[in-house]
Amino acid sequence: MSHETYLLSRIERGDSHTLAGYEAQGGYAAFKKILSEGTPPKDVTEVVKESGLRGRGGAGFPTGLKWSFMPDQERDSRTRYMAVNADESEPGTCKDRVLMERDPHGLLEGCLIAAWAMSLHGVYIYVRGEYRLSYRRLDEAIQEARAAGLIGKNIQGTDFSCEIHMHKGAGAYICGEETGLMESLEGKRGHPRPKPPFPAGFGLWGQPTTVNNVESIFNVPFILERGADWFKAMGSEKSSGNFLCCISGHVEKPGVYEVALGTPASTILNEYAGGVWHGHNLRAWIPGGSSTGFLRPEVIDTPMDHDSLKEVGSMFGTGSMIILDQTASVVHSALVLMDFYEHESCGQCSQCREGTQWLAQVFQRIHDGQGRMEDIDLLSDISNGMAPGKTICALADAAAIPTHSVIRNFRDELVEYVQAGGHTAVSKKRALPMETV
Amino acid sequence: MSDLTKQTPADPSTIERVEITVNGQTVQARTDKPLIQACIQAGVEVPHYCYHPGLTPEGSCRICQVEVQQGKMPARVMVACRTPVMPGMVVNTETEGAHDARRECLEFLLKNHPLDCPICDKAGECTLQDYSFTEGQGEGRSVEPRRKLEKRKDLGDVILLDQERCILCTRCVRFMDEVPKTPQLCVAGRGSHSTIETWNDTPLSGNYQGNLADVCPVGALTLKSFRFKARVWNLTKTASSCGECSRGCATTVEVLRKGEVTRIRPRHDEDVNGWWMCDTGRFALDAFSLADRLVGTLLPSASRGWDATSVENGLQIASDMLTTGDKPLLIASPWLTQEEGGELLALGQTISARVAFVSTASNDLADDVLHTGDPGPNRRGLSDLGLEALTAEEILHTASEHSTVLCIGERVARLLGKGEAEGFNSLPPSARVLLFDCELPDAPTEGNSPIDIAIGLPSSVERVGHWVNIDGLRRNILQARPAPAGVWNTLRLLKYLHELLTNREVQS
Repeated sequence: MSHETYLLSRIERGDSHTLAGYEAQGGYAAFKKILSEGTPPKDVTEVVKESGLRGRGGAGFPTGLKWSFMPDQERDSRTRYMAVNADESEPGTCKDRVLMERDPHGLLEGCLIAAWAMSLHGVYIYVRGEYRLSYRRLDEAIQEARAAGLIGKNIQGTDFSCEIHMHKGAGAYICGEETGLMESLEGKRGHPRPKPPFPAGFGLWGQPTTVNNVESIFNVPFILERGADWFKAMGSEKSSGNFLCCISGHVEKPGVYEVALGTPASTILNEYAGGVWHGHNLRAWIPGGSSTGFLRPEVIDTPMDHDSLKEVGSMFGTGSMIILDQTASVVHSALVLMDFYEHESCGQCSQCREGTQWLAQVFQRIHDGQGRMEDIDLLSDISNGMAPGKTICALADAAAIPTHSVIRNFRDELVEYVQAGGHTAVSKKRALPMETV
Repeated sequence: MSDLTKQTPADPSTIERVEITVNGQTVQARTDKPLIQACIQAGVEVPHYCYHPGLTPEGSCRICQVEVQQGKMPARVMVACRTPVMPGMVVNTETEGAHDARRECLEFLLKNHPLDCPICDKAGECTLQDYSFTEGQGEGRSVEPRRKLEKRKDLGDVILLDQERCILCTRCVRFMDEVPKTPQLCVAGRGSHSTIETWNDTPLSGNYQGNLADVCPVGALTLKSFRFKARVWNLTKTASSCGECSRGCATTVEVLRKGEVTRIRPRHDEDVNGWWMCDTGRFALDAFSLADRLVGTLLPSASRGWDATSVENGLQIASDMLTTGDKPLLIASPWLTQEEGGELLALGQTISARVAFVSTASNDLADDVLHTGDPGPNRRGLSDLGLEALTAEEILHTASEHSTVLCIGERVARLLGKGEAEGFNSLPPSARVLLFDCELPDAPTEGNSPIDIAIGLPSSVERVGHWVNIDGLRRNILQARPAPAGVWNTLRLLKYLHELLTNREVQS
């Protein structure tokens, strides 16, 4: 349990969200150093690349590599943007919120370094609409930083200029998808765009754009300050650094914990979150947000990193664990998730629009006792028709993966529901409480 | 030319082409168009809903899945409408993987689609029906209740929306945004609750609403005027051109069994109208279903009304009239084809007549999409032939200087003005007026009529020929239905009359 922490190292101070509190803890040093030394932008990207930092938003794409996709400034003189994805809406995930509320300047410093590395003209932070405090704290932080000459024109008296803007989401999950986010920022419906073209070539308003998660950007000043080797030393072989693990559901101490990548899920559950509540047994767990599917208790020792979770047929996702105890019903939980995806599908692609609704309807029937044995195969076929890679964005995949996981890992429960005749008949088991998903 | 037809560069040499393989066939595919266009070019049909060659590709219906093998990468199934053409691509539309992907997609599309086909106007030309048939996706496995939405949503005077049938391909939304550039439709709601709507239920406006029924791949957007009028497989379709303005949009004239023109739709013509036409042309069906059609030859009766006689007899009388008195005046309608115009000119030379056509006044329908505002379809052609352009007023003014006036062509009487005080009535009673038209003129009152002989003509859906449009392009018209019995083809009639006149000239 003892390991080096840095992500949450500053938030204990009461004034951690102010410029004074941030600078008192060494804030903006990394950015100022780059600025004063005039570090070549390519070198900054190289350090991030070297560190092995992988995106914390769900896909786990190497951040430095993503930055290097931005076209060369000398050959492409278009305006360049970064959009910071703070539309944290994956069920079970609440890590970025902590950072934005308690340490907003850390994010801003990361944005400024990224702006330097990619010669950006502007940064947009797309904040989830419900995150009112995050929005306010970031807004105040931007004002403070601007007053201190850290944001705006000719920062710290140099030639370097960068604007940071904020944008509030309006409550759509799909606007957390990078191209949906860009459409929304442009003032359109949050309909994801087909790729290609990729954002680095044709992003916001048709200009080169990179989209990064809050936590990914938040890691950058630490990497620049302490070096790529320091970062690589933490975590597992192919997933370096620490991550913020939001653990929720039937645990004694739900919350956001800073954990090294590669820590076994059982360690996080038992040592950080105090174990399954009331001494109950574990029934199922979700490793990285609702889209990563339900796993059996047998694999709870799996290390929490991108490759290990792939091996057990899941994904690292946002690294947000949801724990279900013995009293929970996986079928009911899956129904709750499918209702969510039906509600949040943007409706562009046929498979996703109709498929998310269909999955929810079939789960509802099984739950209500009108399930048929062939429905289990039907669920599998519907999911296969939706994913992988059959639609414009990954929302269809996000609905198909949990469905597949229920069929693969909890087929017995599905059969039980069909044979016994639904939820009430199966047991008086309590369903997964709504607030945890 | 309107800018929508300029989707392709004017200079064909600037189009870049690369070699790809489609179903084993080598194709020189354009790189500025998506892969689906290369497949269509190769004569391979790829099912598609959201893709329309005249609109920006969207890539949302996901039906156009084909297998593509590129470089050393293994073959992958991908949507053809959003895949750029790359050199050396090997495309196969008929692999099992591609068929499976399309079948899967169809099952989703059909999940909430009502089984309305027996009462749907689109049935027979619905691509959802067609592709379900070709892909073999006849049965769905869904036992869930189908989505209930508005079945008859009024979108204005032209279009009715059935939201249940809609598959949300958004072609209609993009059409309104991109072609007439009057954004009026949108997708409202999200996911499976999405519907096509207008802002605050405002009725649609503009002269291009009819195209929405054409772009809709299913029976969601239907023409109010065509609802429950015909089953489309009973329509006989003829390629022709629109005569409602000097653009001459390529059309398909669709005639029902009894011979009524039930629908006119645009036909793709890259150089003239793209895929579209205006509502003025589309709904100009009245001209082809005249209640009082002029058939055979009519002469004012001594007592009242008309006396009928044969066309041969009528032309004999007409030739008498044209060869007595001084220089006759021949007036053509701008609906006359080049062939007919040429014959009229030749005839005029034989009898040394003055030959002119009615130069119509521009109306206020002109826009920067298609409509030129000039209602005469062959103004340019007749003018090029050497016919004099005279306005209706000028014609009536000069007509009094001629003892005989022959007015020939569709709508010519209307163009010169009908009614008591104007038109032929304004001519001196001594003037002999010969009217060759489609529409029956006003009946003579007590033997008095400004018209001395009237002979029936076929309308523009009943004859063959060509017009020359405002840009000097040839616009063919084809016979979509036979002319009524007793109506001669205009060209035959002119040739017969010309022969009579030539013989007379020889005799005298």
